[in-house]
Amino acid sequence: MNIQFKKGVLELCVLSMLGKKDCYGYELVSEISKNISIAEGTIYPLLRRLKDEGYFTTYLQESSEGPPRKYYKLTELGKETKDELIKEWHTFVSGVNKIIKEDNDDDQERISEQA
Amino acid sequence: MTKNEFLNRLDGALTGIAYQDRKDIIYDYEEHFTVGLEGGKTEEEIAASLGDPVTIARQFKADYMLKKAESKATTSNLFKAVFAVVGMGFFNLLIILPIFLPLWAAMIALIFSAFCVVLGGVAGFFASVGTPFFESIVTLPTYNTGANIFFCIGIIALGLLYLIGVISLGKLFYRGTMKYLKFNLKFIKDRGQQV
Repeated sequence: MNIQFKKGVLELCVLSMLGKKDCYGYELVSEISKNISIAEGTIYPLLRRLKDEGYFTTYLQESSEGPPRKYYKLTELGKETKDELIKEWHTFVSGVNKIIKEDNDDDQERISEQA
Repeated sequence: MTKNEFLNRLDGALTGIAYQDRKDIIYDYEEHFTVGLEGGKTEEEIAASLGDPVTIARQFKADYMLKKAESKATTSNLFKAVFAVVGMGFFNLLIILPIFLPLWAAMIALIFSAFCVVLGGVAGFFASVGTPFFESIVTLPTYNTGANIFFCIGIIALGLLYLIGVISLGKLFYRGTMKYLKFNLKFIKDRGQQV
């Protein structure tokens, strides 16, 4: 997949995950990299930038296993942005799907004509 | 790569970022290693899936410089931001250099030449009144001391006018450069800088 495109979508993934529950960095990174192939280290700069832009705040919470972990929590702005991005994403995907489907239908017709 | 190697390389590549911010960044990766190790991964595995620390650092730097340039738009901050972004291969250095280097060189040459005219006038003035050192380096236009003195005062005045003109041109040009850099930053931001 195109790298620019993938990275644009990451923002949406992060906000959407945080919309469900507060997460710590490793959780976000491993969940995303499980589903999308990406260099994991590049997610932290994104987290930092989104935090700077006020989409979420961070807090430290003790963990049972080791040192405290830094959790990310969506702000109001973050929630609004998330909803907006998800809406945009669905419109975008359904548009692309429609085009791809038409294209497929054309291919199918061509194949059946040849046969 | 071990955890320490990774963190050292990352820290080494984060030059230009304030100490506190650098510490924050490193902390996140330390935590990432800690959690990964608890999950049973090796340091090498974690470092490998994180990716190249230098590439990661470039991204932090570009974001950091952009933020700084936005909050405080000094020339130095703007240039740093543009160069940090250029460092990420975002847009080519070739776009900036061919336009700005010759223009700035011309600007500096103009200012320098204005100084030279003033200096020439001053040297001529001293030569006219018979100061020994200047007499040996300046060829005077006439043999009439009075005429020479007025001629040189005229040259100095001309040089000063020229200098004032060049300086206002320089100020205009400086403002133009700032505007251009800000335009670039805005362009980058609008495009979404998360590369």
